[in-house]
Amino acid sequence: MWRITIKGLLAHKLRLALTGLAIVLGVTFVTGTFVLTDTLHNTFTGLFNKVYQNIDLEIRGTAAFSNPSGGTAIRKPFSESLLSRVRAVPGVTIADGGVGGYAQYVAKNGKAITTGGAPTIGATFEPDRQLSSLKLVEGTGPQNASQVVMDQGTARKYGFHVGDRVEILLPGAPQTFTISGIVRFGTANNLAGATIAAFQLATAQRLFGKVGQLDTIDIIVASGANRSTVGRSVAAMLPRGVEVVTGQTVANEDSSSINQALGFFSTGLLVFAFISLFVGAFTIFNTFSIIVGQRTRELALLRIIGASERQIFRSVLLEAFLLGLAASIVGLGLGVLTAMGLDALLKAFGIALPQGPLVFAPRTVVVALIVGVGVTVISAISPARRAVRIPPIAALASYLRASAESPRRRFVIGVAIGALGVLALVVGVGKPAIQLVGLGAVAIFIGVGMLAPLVARPISGVLGRPLAAIFGASGKLGRRNSMRSPRRTAQTASALMVGLALVSTFTVFGASISQSATSGIKDAVIADYIITASSAGAPQSGFSAAAAAAVARVPGVTTVSSINGGMFEFRRSVLNLTAISPQDVSRTVILRMDSGAGASALSNGDLLIDTTTANSKHLQVGERIRVTFAETGPTTVRIGGIFKSNAVLGSYVVGDNFFRSHFAANTLPVAILLRASRGSSAGTTAAIRAGLESYPNLKIQTRAQFIETQQAQVNQLLGLIYALLALAILIALIGIVNTLMLSVFERTREIGLLRAVGMRRRQVRAMIRSEAVILSVFGAVIGIVVGTGLGVALADSLKQQGITDISVPYASLAIFLVVAALLGLAAATWPARRAAQLNVLDAIAVE
Amino acid sequence: MTTVSQSVSDTHESPRIVAAHAVNLVKSYGSGDAEVRALKGINLEFEKGKFTAVMGPSGSGKSTLMHCMAGLDVPTSGQTFIGELEVGNLNDASLTQLRRDRIGFIFQSFNLVPTLTAGENITLPVDLAGGKVDKQWFDFLVGELGIADRLSHRPSEMSGGQQQRTACARALIRRPELIFADEPTGNLDSNSSSEMLAFLRRSVTEYHQSIVMVTHDARGAAYADRVVFLADGELVGELISPSADAVLERMKQLGN
Repeated sequence: MWRITIKGLLAHKLRLALTGLAIVLGVTFVTGTFVLTDTLHNTFTGLFNKVYQNIDLEIRGTAAFSNPSGGTAIRKPFSESLLSRVRAVPGVTIADGGVGGYAQYVAKNGKAITTGGAPTIGATFEPDRQLSSLKLVEGTGPQNASQVVMDQGTARKYGFHVGDRVEILLPGAPQTFTISGIVRFGTANNLAGATIAAFQLATAQRLFGKVGQLDTIDIIVASGANRSTVGRSVAAMLPRGVEVVTGQTVANEDSSSINQALGFFSTGLLVFAFISLFVGAFTIFNTFSIIVGQRTRELALLRIIGASERQIFRSVLLEAFLLGLAASIVGLGLGVLTAMGLDALLKAFGIALPQGPLVFAPRTVVVALIVGVGVTVISAISPARRAVRIPPIAALASYLRASAESPRRRFVIGVAIGALGVLALVVGVGKPAIQLVGLGAVAIFIGVGMLAPLVARPISGVLGRPLAAIFGASGKLGRRNSMRSPRRTAQTASALMVGLALVSTFTVFGASISQSATSGIKDAVIADYIITASSAGAPQSGFSAAAAAAVARVPGVTTVSSINGGMFEFRRSVLNLTAISPQDVSRTVILRMDSGAGASALSNGDLLIDTTTANSKHLQVGERIRVTFAETGPTTVRIGGIFKSNAVLGSYVVGDNFFRSHFAANTLPVAILLRASRGSSAGTTAAIRAGLESYPNLKIQTRAQFIETQQAQVNQLLGLIYALLALAILIALIGIVNTLMLSVFERTREIGLLRAVGMRRRQVRAMIRSEAVILSVFGAVIGIVVGTGLGVALADSLKQQGITDISVPYASLAIFLVVAALLGLAAATWPARRAAQLNVLDAIAVE
Repeated sequence: MTTVSQSVSDTHESPRIVAAHAVNLVKSYGSGDAEVRALKGINLEFEKGKFTAVMGPSGSGKSTLMHCMAGLDVPTSGQTFIGELEVGNLNDASLTQLRRDRIGFIFQSFNLVPTLTAGENITLPVDLAGGKVDKQWFDFLVGELGIADRLSHRPSEMSGGQQQRTACARALIRRPELIFADEPTGNLDSNSSSEMLAFLRRSVTEYHQSIVMVTHDARGAAYADRVVFLADGELVGELISPSADAVLERMKQLGN
């Protein structure tokens, strides 16, 4: 049997290659993700270890709670007087203090330098060469208050040199500095795209509002001294709220926060890799089904000459195993290449990653092989079972293939699996448990895939009718071909169904989010202008607090209200807090109270919460709750009022005064809301722009523009998801190519006959293309219907989370249908050409 | 029926016109030592309005001859003509058009497209040409062939005889200049066979259809006006209006 399997595989190289391609692409995706994230993980960990390798100890404020989004913890600064006392501790040879804060460069063209999400770091240049994490590659450290050192990444990208003057945006008003030196962060040009501006300690303290204070003290212990002994003596003299840790701890924390972000990135990519493999599974299942069908006579002959059921079963699975293995190995190779390519691509986009060797972990190989081979073999089990059911009598010419299973059984099983899927989805979304949602979706797709053959004949009939009308005899034959084997049609279309279902789900979901955001903002804000940092969404998306004062001086601006954001801990979860000045609330935002007071409660230092939160956490007006702030620790706050959910304010709102008493004075605003005497007129807009000229990082938007931006952000995310789903669609198309090729091969005689009685090559191509279009549109129709249902269900289940409007973008869905038809047409190109080029005589002579 | 046959007679009346002919037709496969010469310089005419049978033992080249004459295969050298048209000069598109518009085919088996009904199979050449079916002629043919009640059936729902008669109707639907039939009764029982051959005979006698039939059945050849014998790729004789016995006798001499 082994030899027969091998011969069978080699006899159909083309079939092999096309089927294998589906697995190759999926495995490539998995491998590429692993290699890229492993490599990044390794280089970052290595970088941080190197940067902190000389630092023995670090003194810093204790963190009340860690930042859940993976950034470094928020810590309170401590008095600078500690520094001289630390230096006096026996065993401490070098100790330098530092502070950090917001500092954003302005490029030579006057535009703020944005980092695409990475932080814009302002830091202290520690003069000790051994201690500092910033290594000078050119020039000197800052010698006076008007000098700065710049990271090499920014310097190279924006053409700055030692001696150049550069404007820097700061928590206060912007200032111009002279570049005294260029530095690297450890061995890297910069820190994964972050920009670094480092000043003398006194300058940094003044710029970041921390005069007389320090964020950290870095210590090098004398060579003979015991690090832990010194650590204990340092710890003994520290005041409350200040701690000492080893340099290794800091390195670990920094790399773990980056690695946590990498983890999200990797999980996100893997989800799409597995979607591709899932679609690939449909393709493999279909191909093996067709192959078993075509080999009925051969397999029956094997049975006649004595092959056991078991041997037939094993032979089919062995073929799948070998195919999966070969495809996985190719996929592994391509995955490594892809990772290298992506690495290069990121670098080309100016995201300077630290240099490091490519990491090819054994785990990558194991997972890729298990997944690739596993998907192939599992997909082939059902076709293999069908092969086993072929009776030996099928070898005889007169044998008519009986339909092996009843449609009723298929219906019952399909509905059952689909229903289980819906159940899992509903429970999963309710919990929420993302794995259950995924499992539910998989079950729904399998259920629909099982039911599809039951409707394939009538639906292809209807879809093919216009084609028959347009293309005459060729269209009619294409239509009939798509109807002759409903199972094959359905199975081929199922792969595309999954792809388009996911595309439609995200489209409906995205449109609902977008719609909800629009109506949410309309109901939330009445300000004429909304000013935010241009790199919105970045970890430090604040901007100079001085901008508020600057814009207040613009003639025509009547109300200026800064919105601040921060984090606090309540009932063990870290939550976002919004702060607004009470006197401006009514003029800039719409605050509809359900109970309690609004603006007056904010003035009293009370907390406002939204209705959703009040309901889910069972909180009432008048209740006093215990919360913790990073800098001031635990405290109690009274709930002064409950307001209807507001898309801009978030769930927890306090007044300015309360906020300032619990957060550092230099906390950056996240937005400024403006009212103007003449609304958002062009003249006012120009005046505001002029008034904020020295803050090029600010985005000044009218209310209408702000809404547009929110929609654009959703669309951008959708674009990314479409791009990631494109691979799944591509695999589905390969499935269509594969099925059509097998069909053309199977119908050689028939095509020969058609050619003999006068079918032109063009007509042959039109026939195959018609069939392809029917196949793909059939898959698209079911996919769009299922996907729209899933999208609506998903959006509906997140009503509590702020998706108030459900929107089905019919135009987009119609476009998908047209695109699917065009893709089907494209997929038919090769099979159609092949069919048209069949030699008539060879075709009719085939026996 | 009279009107129909009348119109056919009008166009095909003139006697002793050649429907197709071959000049020094050579067909060889392979090259060098492995070269097999299937046809070794055939000169042959098929008369219009006549039923010609081509006979010969297996491997005599009779199917190759038919394929070359019909434009399905390309000769190694020599020429073939359908009417005055030289087939060898045609590209694939013109060849296809030639087959569709001027030639009818009946094969031994697999004559019908499985997804189409009998009726659709019959009109296929017309549909492919984008033409209009001559309803009267269609009705006449299916009536004559006894398949009028089978028109909405798929090939898988018909007997072998019915399938071949459907193929017959398809070959005749466009009233081609020439029909090539390759062992049309090869897979049929003797009853169906006789019916089929009788119909072909009648279509020649009554509607002046030209038919070339490749066969190795002496009884079938006896329906023809003329039988040409092929052996080892060469023409080895012919009989005019032969009896089955005479054909059988000649075949014996050829060592069949």
